[in-house]
Amino acid sequence: MTTSVRWQDAVLGAAGTGGLFLLWELASRSGLVSTNVFPAPTTAIIGTLQTVPLADILGHVWTSLGRIFWGFALGAVLGTVIGIASGWYRALGVLTRPLIELLRPIPPLAWIPLAIIWFGLGEPSKVFVIFLGAFFPIVTSAYRGMIGIDPALLRVGQTMGLRGPMLLIRVAVPAAMPDLATGIRIGWGLSFGVLVAAELIAADRGMGFMIMNARQLGDVDVIVFGIILIGAINLITDYAIGAVIRRRIGRWHAI
Amino acid sequence: MADPARSDVAPSKIEICGVSKRYATDDPDTPLVLDNINLAIGDNEFVTLVGRSGCGKTTLLNIIGGLVESTHGDVKVNGRTVSGPGQGKGMVFQQHALFPWLTALQNVGFGCRNKGVHKAERDQIAHQLIELVGLHGFEDKYPAELSGGMQQRVAIARALATDPEILLMDEPFGALDELTRLEMQDELLRVWSAHKKTVVFVTHSISEALVLSDRVILLAARPGRIRREFPIPFPRPRKRTDPQMIALYDDIWKSLA
Amino acid sequence: MVTSRIISGLCLIILLLLWQFAVMSGFLKPFQFPPPSRIGEAIVELAVSGFPNGERIWTHVGITLWRIIQGYVLAIGLAVPIGLLIGTIAVLDKLTLPIITFLRSVATLSLLPLVIIWFGTGELTKVLLIAYGCFWAMLSNVIAGVKYVDPVMIRAARTLDTRPLAMFVRVVIPAALPRMFAGARMALGVGFMVIVGAEMIGTIQGLGALIMEARTFYRSDITIVGMLFIGLLGFTITSGLSWLETILLPWSKGLSEVRR
Repeated sequence: MTTSVRWQDAVLGAAGTGGLFLLWELASRSGLVSTNVFPAPTTAIIGTLQTVPLADILGHVWTSLGRIFWGFALGAVLGTVIGIASGWYRALGVLTRPLIELLRPIPPLAWIPLAIIWFGLGEPSKVFVIFLGAFFPIVTSAYRGMIGIDPALLRVGQTMGLRGPMLLIRVAVPAAMPDLATGIRIGWGLSFGVLVAAELIAADRGMGFMIMNARQLGDVDVIVFGIILIGAINLITDYAIGAVIRRRIGRWHAI
Repeated sequence: MADPARSDVAPSKIEICGVSKRYATDDPDTPLVLDNINLAIGDNEFVTLVGRSGCGKTTLLNIIGGLVESTHGDVKVNGRTVSGPGQGKGMVFQQHALFPWLTALQNVGFGCRNKGVHKAERDQIAHQLIELVGLHGFEDKYPAELSGGMQQRVAIARALATDPEILLMDEPFGALDELTRLEMQDELLRVWSAHKKTVVFVTHSISEALVLSDRVILLAARPGRIRREFPIPFPRPRKRTDPQMIALYDDIWKSLA
Repeated sequence: MVTSRIISGLCLIILLLLWQFAVMSGFLKPFQFPPPSRIGEAIVELAVSGFPNGERIWTHVGITLWRIIQGYVLAIGLAVPIGLLIGTIAVLDKLTLPIITFLRSVATLSLLPLVIIWFGTGELTKVLLIAYGCFWAMLSNVIAGVKYVDPVMIRAARTLDTRPLAMFVRVVIPAALPRMFAGARMALGVGFMVIVGAEMIGTIQGLGALIMEARTFYRSDITIVGMLFIGLLGFTITSGLSWLETILLPWSKGLSEVRR
């Protein structure tokens, strides 16, 4: 029963997607929309693969993924540690909270000039901007998760003789996991959202560079291809992270 | 040997001496939450604390458990003043308070792990207790996958796992439906007869107190004081419809009003 | 609570003083870390004479705000009716789900080169980019809001002889409102994120442009002022929206915790 319903959903979804692509393809091929302005998906993909060597494309993807990985990893580790520590040790929270609340509303992209001034035009400035995208949602959700722990759970831990760091590790941190997990997903999405702009900083590689460069060359095919590529990678990685989270905590926590 | 030791015969397991409590946020003019409570509880005795909401029964239980500090007076266990939670005092809460990220088995083994008991031994203890509370086959379920009664069974097994001398229970069956509740009362007595403990049990149900305990302590509110004590001399298992039980029920009910 | 706020404030002040002192003693370079005193002067400069070509800070704030409002209103105005329609008709939801999921995953700023080719580097490009980002955040929340109305509520309304139209207007929409507000707040966050990127190109007006332009003049103090103002602007509008929610939906405990 449920499997057949799921099948039906998948078929409908595929039909909807296929229909849209068909319309787009038709609009483009019939000359309703100029191919120079908005190429059909097949035109864009074939056109790009003909003009740009596959190795170059993979190189751009690899570079971008590396930047996102480092920025995100840094943001996730620092955000988790600072968020959890601020929620656990009150005195630290009083120190870090106002600073975080003050800086959080500033969009990550607005840091680009300072990133350049502080770290130069190389990799660190790009990684820094991506880091900011991940850090703020993760630190905030880790802190919220700690503050929102059911006090009964902490009390149980105490009656079983846990205190101090042991209580933190064995009760508080697992209890804050669901909140942290949502923060991590949002952080990943923001890191991706920041990528293109970060790669505007004097980059000569990366997916963001690829499409910005294509604009200067007037190569619409590559731009459309790049947009789809970035979106697809974002979607796939987000889904993968979601699947890992579901496997880790999905059974005990309804997501 | 059949009857548990009475406080006037054997030395007390738990001694509550002049305990008063006022919360820091309270207005100094408001009545105390607890006012000069004195109570001795014998070894292996089953005592219930009964009273209306706000009479401080949960606060008293938390003070015995070492989770809350008293303003005046102190609580002694085995003649030693209670300084903090743990140390042979197991607790069961109204909202099962199971760790949602651990399976039933892991929840039961939690306390043993804190004590550094090896995994094999820990699992053995946990399996035995799961068996004891009648949850065979549910070891690997997460709390969210269990019914309310099952969750509370796991919570009881978890409190028993470290083999504490004292079991403190804060309205453990308060959130359950009536049928499950009656079932759990019998279950608790069965578990208690297998693992004799000193039990302090908080409830607002007079009939629950009558079925379970050796002694009912009736607390009055504002300020929280001991109003009366009712020894329950009847042998277990007790019939809820026994005329003597009903008479005692009326007696307690009148004292409450 | 009050005392911890005071302590927090004191900590910030101490931090600012330390920063000032670190720069004055030569420990930090004033160009990399313009001290608070310089930032204060930059605020005055921006308020009085303006930067870079005499545009005062109010002009920048106003222009950024106007772009965001246009894009935001366009996005919300489209997302609400479309979302209500998709959320109500199950088949439509199933047909569009993969497309919406994908288009939402498209990084808004990656559209920048394409939109520039279509519409040039003028105002329309910026407004459209903001609208694109806001639209998907809002749309998915409107759909979810309608789709996940508590079925018991629907059943209860049925027993009270509620007609289909009244069901939609008086039950479904109010029940979906908290989620829609959450979406509106999320969309606003996206809008503020996109505006800075959109203003990096083809303009010297607006806070994003101010921030970038200042760097080319080696005026890191003005960059920081721009950052402070955009943060403040975002914070103010988000708070305003939350306030509006408590006024309009006093019965809702607020779905501030709803994520994605």
